[in-house]
Amino acid sequence: MSNEIDFDEILAKYRSDPYNYIQVRAPHTGVINYRVDKGQAVDAPSGEWQHIPGTTLFEITREKNRKPLCSPITGIVSELKAELEGCFVEAGEKLMTIRYPLKKKDIIENILKEVLYLFRAPEKAKYFFALDVQSRIDKKGARSVIIKPGDEILTMSLMKRDTPVYYAGEEGVIHSVYFEPGISVDQGEPLIGVCGADKVPLIQKVITRVKAEWDNI
Amino acid sequence: MTSTVGLTAARLRSYCRDVELPARRSGPLGRAADEIMRYGAFVGSVIERHKRLERAMLLAREQIAVRERAGESVVSGTTIIADSLTGSRGRFARSWHAPPGGLWGTLVVVNTLLPPSFRLLPMVAGIACCEAVRDYCPAATVRWINDVLIGGRKVGGFLCESFIGEGSGEEFCLIGFGINVNNESFPEELRDDATSLSLAAGTAVDLSEFGCRFLAALTFNIGLLYYHEDHVLGQRIDAGAAHPLLLRWRELSDSLGRSVVYGFDVISRPQYRAVVTGIDNEGGLCLTLTDGSRIVEHSGEIRYLM
Repeated sequence: MSNEIDFDEILAKYRSDPYNYIQVRAPHTGVINYRVDKGQAVDAPSGEWQHIPGTTLFEITREKNRKPLCSPITGIVSELKAELEGCFVEAGEKLMTIRYPLKKKDIIENILKEVLYLFRAPEKAKYFFALDVQSRIDKKGARSVIIKPGDEILTMSLMKRDTPVYYAGEEGVIHSVYFEPGISVDQGEPLIGVCGADKVPLIQKVITRVKAEWDNI
Repeated sequence: MTSTVGLTAARLRSYCRDVELPARRSGPLGRAADEIMRYGAFVGSVIERHKRLERAMLLAREQIAVRERAGESVVSGTTIIADSLTGSRGRFARSWHAPPGGLWGTLVVVNTLLPPSFRLLPMVAGIACCEAVRDYCPAATVRWINDVLIGGRKVGGFLCESFIGEGSGEEFCLIGFGINVNNESFPEELRDDATSLSLAAGTAVDLSEFGCRFLAALTFNIGLLYYHEDHVLGQRIDAGAAHPLLLRWRELSDSLGRSVVYGFDVISRPQYRAVVTGIDNEGGLCLTLTDGSRIVEHSGEIRYLM
């Protein structure tokens, strides 16, 4: 991570396009039937446990098994490949794009995700900190806990089988925690963001600057 | 009778051949039981008995590490048993009372299964225990994922942990088991929630005999994971059909239709109440909340509300 961050460039990028875009792809092969149109507003999952599904985006049918796929976010369908309606598609085929406006918190998180080392979920599962790490966090706070490669930092829980997760990344402090115990994390999603202890002031500077600047945008 | 001194690998092999296999042949899978038992035959291939251990899981980890440093590998199916454990614990560092009289130990399984089969391994432990307990007490049931209950009280619990060998990178699943067989007194905090097989059956149980039955049931049910995987890959079974292990779990469980409280750590942090409506084809628990919405959980635990 560089010690120099061009704040003006980063903020200019967000000023010119204050949105994030999610590409929605076919999860597996099958025939596509859309349930939304281009420009339509869609809703994210809701409810205390995020258990009420979001707007149904499309259905995919494989071997007579019809599966609805729902929006993971609240936004607008900004692009839709209408020509694929009723067609058989391969896994990973891009079907639509959902655009949603960024909030100040999202921008800070996005910038931090660019400057922190992100340790990602190896599998879709629920995660919690290893007992030793959790007790250090409880005593001193996450940003005082230094972790290094090979440390057992997390436990992955799936079907009541606990798997230790060993840290692989640069040594540093746990700056950001992206998971909550008891809430499933998808494979590849970040679990924690880590930065070198000497970089913490720089990170704070990023946050302060964005907080101040974004109000003026 | 209250010791595991008679629980040896040789006795287990005899039991599997003379008792378990004929019984399984007369079950729904018929002659396929022969192939299934062969797949699971590694279970208990080595049985180590100890008078007292801190935790069998710790010893299993040490043995894997020591063997790997020597350029060797722990035998898959190694079973470490102790008459009592002094530092046993359940999930989230909950204490587990393991005095003489119970069956306490760890089974080491080298993971050679594909992920869809491997994820069912914790369910296998509950099914095998429930089957063995039912030989003495037919009222035993399984609570999702693998708690074994008699009359709503826990008689058997399992702690499954994956462990990656430092040298080989090989993945082991350590299945820690704790089954209250002849131990009849429990600490105050467990008294309302725990029971033992001897309390339920009204008589002491031969611990070695019970151990044989449990390991033989594990042999069959772990073998079933391999058998099913082989037959799906060989396209001799429809991959979309329900796994026979899940069918068996449904037969043994009393979770379906129950009002429950769910939590990732349900004791210290209960999350919500729901009704269990089924399990999906991956073993996930299907729950319906009071507002009618549905959730499928693949980890965490439940407690029955009534």
